Amino acid sequence: MKKIKLSNVLITLLLLLLVIVSLLPVYWTLNTSFKVNSEIYNMKPSLWPKKPTVQSYIDLVVKRNFLPSLWNSFFVSFIVSVGSVAISAFAGYAFARLDFRGKQILSNSVLYSYLMPRSVLFIPLYMLVTTFGLRDNLMGLIVIYPTITIPYATWMLTSYFRTIPLAIEEAAEIDGCGRIRSMIQVVFPLAKPGLAATTIFAFTLCWSEYMYALVIITRSETRTITLALANMVVGDVFAWGPMMAGSIVATIPILLIYMISSKNMVSGLTVGAVK
Amino acid sequence: MRALSRERKKELLAYCLIAPVIIYLIVFMLFPFIWALWTSVTNRTIGGNADFVGIDNFVTLVRDRVFRQSVWNTIVYTLFAVLGKVVLGMIMALVLNAQIPLKNLSRVLLFIPWTIPTLVSALTWRWMYSDVGGFFNYILMSLNIVNAPVPWLYDPKLAMVSIIVANIWRGAPFIAISLLAGLQSIPEDYYEAAQIDGANAIIRFLHITIPSIKDVLILSTLITTIWTFNDFEIVWLLTGGGPGNATQILSTYGYTVGFMNLNLSKAISSSMIAMPFLLILVTIITNRFKKSEVD
Repeated sequence: MKKIKLSNVLITLLLLLLVIVSLLPVYWTLNTSFKVNSEIYNMKPSLWPKKPTVQSYIDLVVKRNFLPSLWNSFFVSFIVSVGSVAISAFAGYAFARLDFRGKQILSNSVLYSYLMPRSVLFIPLYMLVTTFGLRDNLMGLIVIYPTITIPYATWMLTSYFRTIPLAIEEAAEIDGCGRIRSMIQVVFPLAKPGLAATTIFAFTLCWSEYMYALVIITRSETRTITLALANMVVGDVFAWGPMMAGSIVATIPILLIYMISSKNMVSGLTVGAVK
Repeated sequence: MRALSRERKKELLAYCLIAPVIIYLIVFMLFPFIWALWTSVTNRTIGGNADFVGIDNFVTLVRDRVFRQSVWNTIVYTLFAVLGKVVLGMIMALVLNAQIPLKNLSRVLLFIPWTIPTLVSALTWRWMYSDVGGFFNYILMSLNIVNAPVPWLYDPKLAMVSIIVANIWRGAPFIAISLLAGLQSIPEDYYEAAQIDGANAIIRFLHITIPSIKDVLILSTLITTIWTFNDFEIVWLLTGGGPGNATQILSTYGYTVGFMNLNLSKAISSSMIAMPFLLILVTIITNRFKKSEVD
């Protein structure tokens, strides 16, 4: 039997502490979402729901009309992520595989776009969307969310395509495949895991977006899930029950995606750098 | 007509492939950005006209006490949050890289704060800090450490600490993920050799671990600095910049001036002031990425 070392015990205790710190707020949210109001607003809150109830979830749907927001977020995120990856895949292929003048500058500008913060662009983009007459319209979000997802997807896919061996493509070319055919019929199918992961993460970026939605959407029918949640904060009375229930609902799809995907995908931007 | 050379054809194909992305970025990022630069030297309001006013907006800003405070708050917020995230992220990465039980599960659990939508974490922390039913006050009061609820978000000094803690909680896993990948690529025999030479844990950390992960540490710290500097959700939803501008940072200031006071040009100018600093950071990051690609 292996001797149990003191350092291992200490590290395990440290790990336990880190897990508790990481999960406590999440647990508190979950805990609150299943409590009755009298328990939520008690000066001495309970560590677990004494009378577990799904009332907050029911309120969320019935009183707060949460389902349309859920659909709006899904609709926008789906269209933007699929669309962005579709056009970024071609660009990513070109950056990874082809030589052309201006390549360095263009690929740098993609990275600059990725790192360009939203707090700089939100007013100009608000003006742009207003000019197009797309304020208070999901189309307004659909046209500007790619400013987040396209640079991300292009960057990710460029480094992903680089990992696919050149020899496979050369073989296809010898077999008489043209560039375009070998890209679509040989490289893209091989890149399926990368394409899928990028789409999924582009989806989560849109799903979690708040700042652009805040300035562009005001009508309740076009609200996304983040707006619907933040809206429950306004005013003096905090609807903690439904708000925490909504937080759980908004988090579950994202959490599932991360848990199913492999560890590499979580790292997002740095994946290309640390390999 | 002369047939295009093979090289020319390849180049043409490349331009066709990247055209949609580049055109989109020009229309939706470059143009708005240039428009923002132009607006910062005009007196545009929402729904109003714009006249050229030179650097008036910037002069007004520098004279504005709230703006100066926002700049200072942004610096404090960014500095301490990034520092906290790097330290906590490093600890997380080292623990996850050690021999621990349930390694994969532990990794997934520690990364959960990073996966949750930022807005949800902000709401969660607001609830944790609440005076009625909030977790922290409950623990402190039931252990008789305090008699009355601590005003985590309503005391000017404490509010800054509270939002920094929330930001660290959310952002540390990103540093951890990046560093973990770096740690895993360090060959085990480096440590064994050092151990034989009698190097203790601290010396091994300073002379093997740190040099091996230096690049990824710098890169992830710089990226985190940009994100923290421009954070909006956590501050806006926890304190709204209050109490009395004690936690007002540049992004919340810009939003308040632009959309509450409807002064667009002043709001844009306030975000443009930080641009030189951000551009320097972005340029350093871009160069580091290019360098790591060549290696």
